[in-house]
Formats: sequence, structure tokens, C-alpha cells
Amino acid sequence: MSNSPETAIGAPDAGQPGQYYGRGIPYLPINGYPGKLIAIEGTDGVGRSTQILLLREWLEVRGYGVVETGWTRSELMAPTIELAKSSNTLNKLTFVLLYATDFADRLEKEIIPALKAGFVVLSDRYIFTALARAGVRGVDRPWLRSLYAFAIAPHQVFYLKLDVETLIRRVLAARGMDFWESGMDLKHGDDIYDSFRAYQNRLLREYSSMADEFNFRVVDARRSIEQIQSELRRQVGAFLEQER
Amino acid sequence: MTFSLLHATDFADRLLYKIIPPLKAGMIVLADRYAYTAFARDSVRGVDGQWVRELYSFAVRPDMVLYFRVPIDVSLDRLMARRVKLKFYEAGMDLGWSTNPTESFRLFQGRVLEEYDRIVDEFGLDVINAARSITEQQQEVRRLVAARIPVTSVETPDEQLA
Repeated sequence: MSNSPETAIGAPDAGQPGQYYGRGIPYLPINGYPGKLIAIEGTDGVGRSTQILLLREWLEVRGYGVVETGWTRSELMAPTIELAKSSNTLNKLTFVLLYATDFADRLEKEIIPALKAGFVVLSDRYIFTALARAGVRGVDRPWLRSLYAFAIAPHQVFYLKLDVETLIRRVLAARGMDFWESGMDLKHGDDIYDSFRAYQNRLLREYSSMADEFNFRVVDARRSIEQIQSELRRQVGAFLEQER
Repeated sequence: MTFSLLHATDFADRLLYKIIPPLKAGMIVLADRYAYTAFARDSVRGVDGQWVRELYSFAVRPDMVLYFRVPIDVSLDRLMARRVKLKFYEAGMDLGWSTNPTESFRLFQGRVLEEYDRIVDEFGLDVINAARSITEQQQEVRRLVAARIPVTSVETPDEQLA
């Protein structure tokens, strides 16, 4: 978004870390807020929540106030999204808009107040999840980007990258494949394994295509939990140290 | 923002289930309010006007848009005659401009009307003077619709509304 002229309208620093990507929310100016927004992205099963838990503890021990926010966790929308997923009423457009509503609620009620108060906000998934899922489902990409023009560009985005073979084994070992993670709504066939594989492959391609556009810091998630964590700590620590 | 996005979600659902299928079947769809309501209302609530327009760019552009314009006093009188209390959001009470619902309604709807006037020019809406009698308005509506849309037989308003 930061690079495309049609959405980078608004403030001259639109799309810069800590600023709105585009037009933003006119009634919520965020200039000069001391907090930092750090997003951890990646498909299901890459170990995001484990990494965030460890990172949070480490940051808190070092004296930072940490707030966590996660996809579809808003008080306003979480029950609605669950209900809509369990029935068969969702189409790709309403799916996208429900996610955006959830995100807007968390942005206004959790993320922006925390940034204002100087917290480090760790976001378990960010708008890139929505962009990837909707992109795979054929929703117009420029429209998606203008929709999320009210989002804040994180100070750092870590993309935990995993190949589809490793991903499949991890998901199967952990809990098995579910309907939505397998993209069964795309109706590629009745076989959940084939569908999962095809869907996750396409998701990975979407994420890769966004890496440059949104300055992803790509982290090789095939390594051990400890190795990944130490890379995150090194990069987050260096950034926060320099901003202190 | 969530107010705006929830309405857009509801609209998307109705668009895909209630509006597009009859259009494909060649039917006439009458929409009681459309995206223009969101453009006016959301802008007044402080959401970026251009963003809302882009948000609704998935909507079908209507063949014809009728805007029933009425002064605030007339709409307030009509609402008060029907029910005792103004609705919270209709009166823009969420904006905290006034604790008095009637005063808040005046302020909020006043701004909404200003936005509508901008929208009339931007999208070429047909304006109906809605301060007149129902029969007069209906005659004008039928005249406008008949001129724009091939309707095979139109009954005269007098037969219907007598």
C-alpha cells in the first residue's frame, strides 16, 4: 500500500511504520504515539502463538509493557464470525468484510489505545492474513488494499515462512486439518488432504507476493523454536533499543 | 469504523442474495436506501468519504436513484407524530453532540442533509421534494420512472391512491 499512489493518499508519511497505510481514520490521529506495533504473520501451524508467548515474556522481563492482539478476537465480532463460519451463509465478500470489521474494532479499542500509552503491541497475524485469504478467493486486490487503508503500518512485520510439506506434517501431528484451513469452501474436491495442500500452497504464494510490498522480515520457520525465537529477539530487541 | 463496516457487510449480503439474482432474472429491484445512505451517514460520523466510496465499489450502480429531500423540521414532525422516542443512532446520539435527542437529531441530520446535497451532484441523483403530499410525490416518481425505464402499463395514481 505504501508504494501504490492510489491508496497512499492522506498524510505525506502514509505507509511509513507507525502511520496509517492510506487515508486512515480521520477522527483518530495517531501521530507521535510512543507505542510500537509488531506483527507476526504466517499460515496456520507455523508456531506463531508459541513464538509470541516467548517473545512477550522476554520483553516483559526487560521492562516493556506488552499487549497482544489476535485475528478475530474482537469482543464485537468474534461470536458473529464463529456463527457465520459454522453456518453456510458466508460468501467471500461478507467474509472479507466481517474480518475487516473485527480488525477495525481491535484497532480502535485495543491497538491504538495501547500505542498511545506506549505499549509494544504484538499482533498475532495482521491484515496480511486477510489479504492472502481473500486474494486466494479471487477478491479484487486493489479493492482489498483500499479497504485496509485504515490500518496502521507495523514497525516490524515478521513472516514465519514454512514450506507446504513441513506445514502438512506439523498440522497433522498437532490437531488435524480443519474445513476452513483446508479451503474446502473453494470446492476443489472432497479430499481434505488435497484441498489443504492446494489451498496452503496458494496462500504461501500470496504471502510471498506481499513480502516486498509490505517489507516482511522473512523468518525461516523450519528451524527449532529456540532458533526462531532468538532471531525474533535479536531483531525486536535491536529495534526497541534504538527507539528508546 | 465498525459501524460503517458492519453496514457494508449487511449490504454485501443483501447485494449477493437479494439484489443481483433478481437483476439477472430481468426483474426490477426497488432498494429502500442504498450505498448513498452510507456515504452521507458515515462521513458525518468522521469516516473518510473517499474510503467509504471505495469500500462500496463492489455495489451495482443503480439505473436510477431517487432522493426524497425533506427539511429537518418536517422529518422531525413526521417522526414525532409516529412514535414518541427518536432512535439512538438515527439521532446521532453516539456522537455526543447533544444530550437532548431532538437537538442531537437536528444537528446530526442537518449534517447528513448537507452530505446528501453533495452526493446529489456527485452521482446525479433525481431529487423529489418530499415535503409535498404522498400523491404528488408518487405522481412525480411514476413520471420519472416511466420516462427512464420501459414500463408497459402504468396505472394512474388517482385509481391507486384515491
